[in-house]
Amino acid sequence: MTEKPKVAWYWCASCGGCEESFVDLAERLLKVFEAVDIVFCPVAMDFKREDVEKLPDGSITVALINGGIRLKEHEEMVKLLRKKSKIVIAYGACSAWGGIPGLANLYNLDEVIERKYLEVPTVENPKEVMPTKKTIVNIPEAGIKAEIELTEPLPVLLPLDKVIDVDYYIPGCPPTPDVFWNALQALLSGNLPPKGSVIGASQKSVCDECPLNETKPEKILVKEFKRPDKAMAKPNECLLAQGFLCMGPVTRGGCKSLCPQANMPCTGCFGMLDGIVDFGGKAISYFGSILDYSPLEEREIKDAYEKVPDWVGVVYRYSLAASKLGHKARLKKVERIKEVTEI
Amino acid sequence: MTEPRIGVYVCHCGFNIAGTVDVKKVAEYAKTLPNVVVARDYVFMCSEPGQDLIKQDIKEHNLNRVVVASCSPSLHEVTFRTAVAEAGLNKYLMEMANIREHCSWVHHDKEKATEKAKEIVRMAVAKARYLDPLEELEVKAEQSALVLGGGVAGLRAALELANYGLQVYLVEKSPTIGGKAALIGYVDPKTKGAEIVSKMFELIKECPRIHIFTNSELIQLSGFAGNYTAKIRVNPRYVTEKCTLCGECEEVCPIEISNEYNFGLNKRKAIFLPFNNAYPPYYAIDHRVCVKCGECEKVCRFGAINLKQEPKIVELKVGALVIATGYDPYRPFKGEYGYGLHESIITLFQLARMLDPESPTKGELIIGGKIPKSIAFIQCVGSRNTTPGAKEYCSRMCCTTAINNAIKIKEKYPDTNVYIIYKDIMTYGSDESLYEEAGKKLVQFVKFEDKIPRVLITPEGLFIEVFEYTIQENIRIPVDAIVLSIGMLPPRDIEELIAVTRVSCGGEGFVREAHLKLAPVEAPTKGIFLAGCITGPKNILESIRMGSAAAAKAMSLLSKGKITIEPMIAQVNEEKCSGCAICVGVCPYSAISIKNVNGDRVAYVEKALCMGCGTCNAACPSGAMQHLGFKDVQLLAQTRAVFGGEVNV
Repeated sequence: MTEKPKVAWYWCASCGGCEESFVDLAERLLKVFEAVDIVFCPVAMDFKREDVEKLPDGSITVALINGGIRLKEHEEMVKLLRKKSKIVIAYGACSAWGGIPGLANLYNLDEVIERKYLEVPTVENPKEVMPTKKTIVNIPEAGIKAEIELTEPLPVLLPLDKVIDVDYYIPGCPPTPDVFWNALQALLSGNLPPKGSVIGASQKSVCDECPLNETKPEKILVKEFKRPDKAMAKPNECLLAQGFLCMGPVTRGGCKSLCPQANMPCTGCFGMLDGIVDFGGKAISYFGSILDYSPLEEREIKDAYEKVPDWVGVVYRYSLAASKLGHKARLKKVERIKEVTEI
Repeated sequence: MTEPRIGVYVCHCGFNIAGTVDVKKVAEYAKTLPNVVVARDYVFMCSEPGQDLIKQDIKEHNLNRVVVASCSPSLHEVTFRTAVAEAGLNKYLMEMANIREHCSWVHHDKEKATEKAKEIVRMAVAKARYLDPLEELEVKAEQSALVLGGGVAGLRAALELANYGLQVYLVEKSPTIGGKAALIGYVDPKTKGAEIVSKMFELIKECPRIHIFTNSELIQLSGFAGNYTAKIRVNPRYVTEKCTLCGECEEVCPIEISNEYNFGLNKRKAIFLPFNNAYPPYYAIDHRVCVKCGECEKVCRFGAINLKQEPKIVELKVGALVIATGYDPYRPFKGEYGYGLHESIITLFQLARMLDPESPTKGELIIGGKIPKSIAFIQCVGSRNTTPGAKEYCSRMCCTTAINNAIKIKEKYPDTNVYIIYKDIMTYGSDESLYEEAGKKLVQFVKFEDKIPRVLITPEGLFIEVFEYTIQENIRIPVDAIVLSIGMLPPRDIEELIAVTRVSCGGEGFVREAHLKLAPVEAPTKGIFLAGCITGPKNILESIRMGSAAAAKAMSLLSKGKITIEPMIAQVNEEKCSGCAICVGVCPYSAISIKNVNGDRVAYVEKALCMGCGTCNAACPSGAMQHLGFKDVQLLAQTRAVFGGEVNV
């Protein structure tokens, strides 16, 4: 009997949604277990780092890695997995382009830590307990003397391909079960596109799959930009033509246009199509193109743009970390993490 | 892709480039760039021997890309494209690096300029690696033209086009051709505008290839250069060619309105003959004011009146369009130099008309019911920022027209005092002799500068108060009449013209030429030409010349019977296009539509309509729309090369 392909599944800065998408395969999951051996999967199985280290180099057929690279630990683990795997796949938007956690790159690490530990409305931290690199626990009465070292955060969140060589990408936040399934079929059959390709999804944008595409007027021209929290979308009518900031035109299809069909504008979680250099740049460029004011009506144009409070969050929601925009945090010395705490 | 073999040619342009850029160093540097097989410098690349160098190298070194580092592509792109084509290479495999306008001409420091020239060359080489061969397209050109506007510019253009052998359709909004020149009186001391126009009418009557639509307007224009479809709405005239000009209808017509053909000097009826020599020579009914009472129909003995006529839509196939819809006279606001407050304050157009023997006063100078003993012209009304409503530009014709009419007045009424109150006299060219002559005839010139003259309307009569700039003194001139030398405005309906023909406006509100020096008389849209005052103020002579020029350009476009289309246009990759339609809305030429290909919505570019502006390319969210000659891969390679980045994309 030939050996089954070995699969590793690792999570970095991830919300757990990608893991959920695996479970969402439902009955098809059984076929996956029939076809492959899972050798590493922290979310569900008790393999440790040492177990991976013991594997011969290149012995893992496919490593699926989700989440962005936020910690030194992530960096070490993905480098290890790269060494042990034939194919490495960036699974999901965070791994591919940084995803939502990548928006933290707008701030330096201190600002991120202050926000997270002190300012967030759901946090209560009157003693201002902050993260510490090394904690020395010394309780002689109990005979405990130990040092706990926390892994260090990286100054910015990095997409997987900025840390290791990535063979393929599976897009989505999270990838839909169908996209994952298509990608698995491609991987198992060995019928793979050139390295660096996105697999499992479409080569055209969401509009191509969207039934509302047919309802577009001849020319899309809008007077204002709308957001679903402020305006009600008319059903069965192209959201972009209504003025909603729908990312459908710039976003890779494959999701079967789930969101627009539920009257929610596409947020762009499948990322950009082949050949596009910068997702947000392209998005803002077409939003600018459909705004129906003459260049002389500067005031109106400004008003239309200012109604949207967070343009970066709209157009770079999933891809800021991979974008051409600079990473603010890169040069600043981190002060908000303590070196040592003694208990 | 076959491996690129690039030749780089660095031009000295005499000292233009070599004076500031070390061309030898640039050529040496070019040799180190990837895929560069040969690099040379030469004193004038555009000269015959310079071009021969390129041609020889293409053959000897088997080059498949050429980079010429010299001047702006607008100067010599065609030259070098032709050269590479003569050597058997597709002419679009040549890229220019502009190291003159973008480098040597704007820098002094030789060392830094040389470094910059190297960078510009590096970028061009990076792009050249990704150039594709392109083929020009050819479409059949209709041998016909549409001329919009029946003034002197339009008439001249129509005559020229017909002489060249084209079928010409002349579309005029009013019931007669002739435009304002027919009404304006004397255009120089000896010639009346009406005479010029009448001579043109004679020629037009004899020309079978000119079809005139009066009372008509262009309502839709589709298609592209060589193949336009124009929809014309022909509004009813209600008077047929049976009309004998007896004038009985006019007498019974109950409607009376201000006569625009006399610039409001008198009134006319709803049924009227615009002027004596109007063409076509029939009465017309002004549908805007006619109440269809039927009195004229009853009185007409020739059955020439038919009030049941309906507007007609005519569709014409034309190869080119000449727009010559003219201008509007500046409209002074009430109270601007007393305009509208006193019967003896009139405009230059009214005065000029008055001095025409065909005018309501039969050529007599009668203002406010009497012959003025003293009359003053105030210049630059509505022009040169004199009053709040005035335009910034000079209207070019008002100085000459005012002086010309001042001379006429002096000839006929030697005792009348004539003043010309001016800011600067702009009788340019040969018109300067009129200025001289006016001086000899004792027309008095009064100069003002920043402080504009004041018109005082008093019980004792009219006065002009002005700070005379030459003598630096306030003076007060009693006058019997004042003539406001009004300038020119873009025509009132220019917005509609723009909407239909997609021409664009310059800052002054007139239609803009594609390039004043390099593409004069052309609109940015291929196949549309401009003549006369629609592009800005002109005198009659200039308008007529422009009519000829527009016709010649239209002819040079259509004469081969087919039109070559520049292949550097937008191209859709249907494999990538999702039919999101962003491009459709941004295209200024309506060249893009969505079509259905095997059940898939995709964008479709009408090649002949695309002007290669690149807007759709920038707006396309999926990268499906590419601009041939400026594809993303080509521009990215170029951009990366700026920063010395990797050459591969």
